[in-house]
Amino acid sequence: MIGSPTRNDRAPGGMLAWRVLRRLPELVVIWVPLLLCAGQVVVFTIWTTVVSFTPSTLMPVTGWVGMRNYTAMLASRNWHIAFDNLLIFGFGFVVLAIAVGLLLAVLLDQRIRGENVMRTIFLYPMAVSFVVTGTVWSWLLNPGIGVQKLVQGLGWSGFRFDWLVRPDMAIYTIIIAAVWQASGFAMALFTAGLRSVEPDLIKAAQIDGAGPWRTYLRVVLPTLWPIVIAVLVILLQFAIKAFDLVRALTDGGPGLSTQLPTLVVYDFMFQRGLLGRGSAAAVLMLLTLLAVLAPYGLWKHWQTRRAARA
Amino acid sequence: MRRISRRAVLAVPVGLLAASRVAHAQTVKPRLTLISQWSTGSDGAAITALGKKFEERGGTWQHSPVPGFTTDMMNKLRAQIMAGDPPACSQLKGPDIAAWSKIAPTVNLDAVITAAGYEKVIAPDLAKIHAPFGHWLAMPLQVYRTNTMFYSKRAMDRAKATKIPTNWAEFNELAENMKAAGIASPFANGGLRFDDGMKFETSLAGINPAVYRAAVMELDAKALQSKEVHDAFVQVRKLANWQDPNVATQHYSVFLPRFIKGDMGILLSGGWAQGVMLNAGYKLDDFILAPGPTENGKPVFILNADAFIFWQRKEADLQAGQMLMADLVMQPAIQTMYSQITGSIPVRTDADLSGPGWSDGQREAAKTLKEAVAVNQVVMSLGHNMAQPNAMTAAMLDAIGEYAHDRTMTPDQGVARLIEAVDSART
Repeated sequence: MIGSPTRNDRAPGGMLAWRVLRRLPELVVIWVPLLLCAGQVVVFTIWTTVVSFTPSTLMPVTGWVGMRNYTAMLASRNWHIAFDNLLIFGFGFVVLAIAVGLLLAVLLDQRIRGENVMRTIFLYPMAVSFVVTGTVWSWLLNPGIGVQKLVQGLGWSGFRFDWLVRPDMAIYTIIIAAVWQASGFAMALFTAGLRSVEPDLIKAAQIDGAGPWRTYLRVVLPTLWPIVIAVLVILLQFAIKAFDLVRALTDGGPGLSTQLPTLVVYDFMFQRGLLGRGSAAAVLMLLTLLAVLAPYGLWKHWQTRRAARA
Repeated sequence: MRRISRRAVLAVPVGLLAASRVAHAQTVKPRLTLISQWSTGSDGAAITALGKKFEERGGTWQHSPVPGFTTDMMNKLRAQIMAGDPPACSQLKGPDIAAWSKIAPTVNLDAVITAAGYEKVIAPDLAKIHAPFGHWLAMPLQVYRTNTMFYSKRAMDRAKATKIPTNWAEFNELAENMKAAGIASPFANGGLRFDDGMKFETSLAGINPAVYRAAVMELDAKALQSKEVHDAFVQVRKLANWQDPNVATQHYSVFLPRFIKGDMGILLSGGWAQGVMLNAGYKLDDFILAPGPTENGKPVFILNADAFIFWQRKEADLQAGQMLMADLVMQPAIQTMYSQITGSIPVRTDADLSGPGWSDGQREAAKTLKEAVAVNQVVMSLGHNMAQPNAMTAAMLDAIGEYAHDRTMTPDQGVARLIEAVDSART
């Protein structure tokens, strides 16, 4: 009998049990991975925070040392240099990757021949692992065997490009390698965004007599704004996560000049056997991330409320 | 039909069980799980040869090398200890032996070592490190001297130099002569952290080993501010300026071809560089081995020693493997075989280095060790994690590495940074 009427007359508990049982496959497929993944992130974050308050060195131990690990990390030279480098690298990488990605997307949008081939070529760097990128760029940027030697060999004997071996300039080489890797990705997202601009808007601008540059600057780019924000957030988390690229390219740089917070965390936790200090550095990284993402979250919240009211 | 008594029925499986236990105990095959950093090159060849000898004695050899520097191996070791599955044996060295023995139980080697009379043939400085709390925790395997200078034959010919420098003034003069003879970068070292550490420790121990002991091994504040430490930083700056300006963070082996060819003249390294160069196909005549410069005329030996530590395991076959390994490592023939491949000198002070297969450099290093022990000028290497535990070493190498790679830093700034690093790592 289809939809046996007696079922609905059962006690509410029975109905609930049947509902759950009927939807069990969906619930298992959704909730189990969700709880595992979210739980893993949350539990281990809490674990790291707990360890950061203990006097752990080689192994995690119980104990309480208050803020001593935090004050030690905040006072250490490694952390200061790493934090400054994160600001320089984060800002430089994100701005440059967005600019280059946008430029490539706009150029590709000009209905050129072989557009798909060009787009694939620009996206290839994304397929290369960060370690390979770092290694190859460390050869290219080494003054003795790379770009400087090539240009000097071509005749410009006064040409210098030894940023990689100079402590004050080495961080910019990391920006170069990272932008090479990620600008294709930014370009792909912007291309999708450009395609989604309404053609009527562009036609209206053309009828009003706007040249191609003005059309792009005044009409197309402002509508891309939400995509720019999305790309910015994705690239920012690339920048904060950057570890294997820096390890392969400069391994913390000549001296300590290209240390980044990720390297400091790994170095203190595992290479120095100071788990407490390393965990404190990791929690400081998390707080830095929150300091960036919280305003973004608030801004989005404010935006949706404004849209709801409008 | 005769009734089979219950006792008879029970006796059979119990009997089989007992028989199998006895059989098992008699045929337990020694097995060893080992972690080390020796995966390639001459080190890899040496540990593989040791493995073959282990298997010839009837054991199963299970070596999992972790490529990289010692800290990479220690990461894997820590992960396995935390998982409750430590290897039966692992490489470990320096003050970390004392520190790590506190985090997991190790096998007490007193019985094995006194039974073989091994403690009589080990230098006292080694005993201090490998028996830190009075009983033997680790079995030393080989000894290296890190203040060894390698001089390229062809470069010396180019600079028309015949005398091997014995003190820093002569060394600096030789380097300048090589530069004048057209060798643009006489010093063939790399830019990794342990390399910077070796430059500093060789400079300071060469200038005054007693100050080295006070400043680097005991972290005495007054010694760290002394003139000798300042002079060591000045010498490190000279050495860094004689390196290839594009060295960045490259390994010294990158420069070996140029060193052998004569485009670079001097390499400061430990005895293992001999093993590396021979393994790379170069000949002993291509380079000259000599002790690092010392100022007071008496031999200085900066010691770097590798050791095996045995972690407690319940399995009978692993325990048998540990005993077999300990027995093997103490044997003179095994130590001879191992050191001839890696370029080290054997731990046994009664080892005979006059046979073929030993280089003059190794004979000279062994002789220098004996002489340095006699005048109390044996010190522990900073760059190779022998003088201080990992955290302090890393903090000091931060400061020394920054100074070595930044030509705008003055020696005074370098000393100040080093003192700052030591103070912050002390807490």
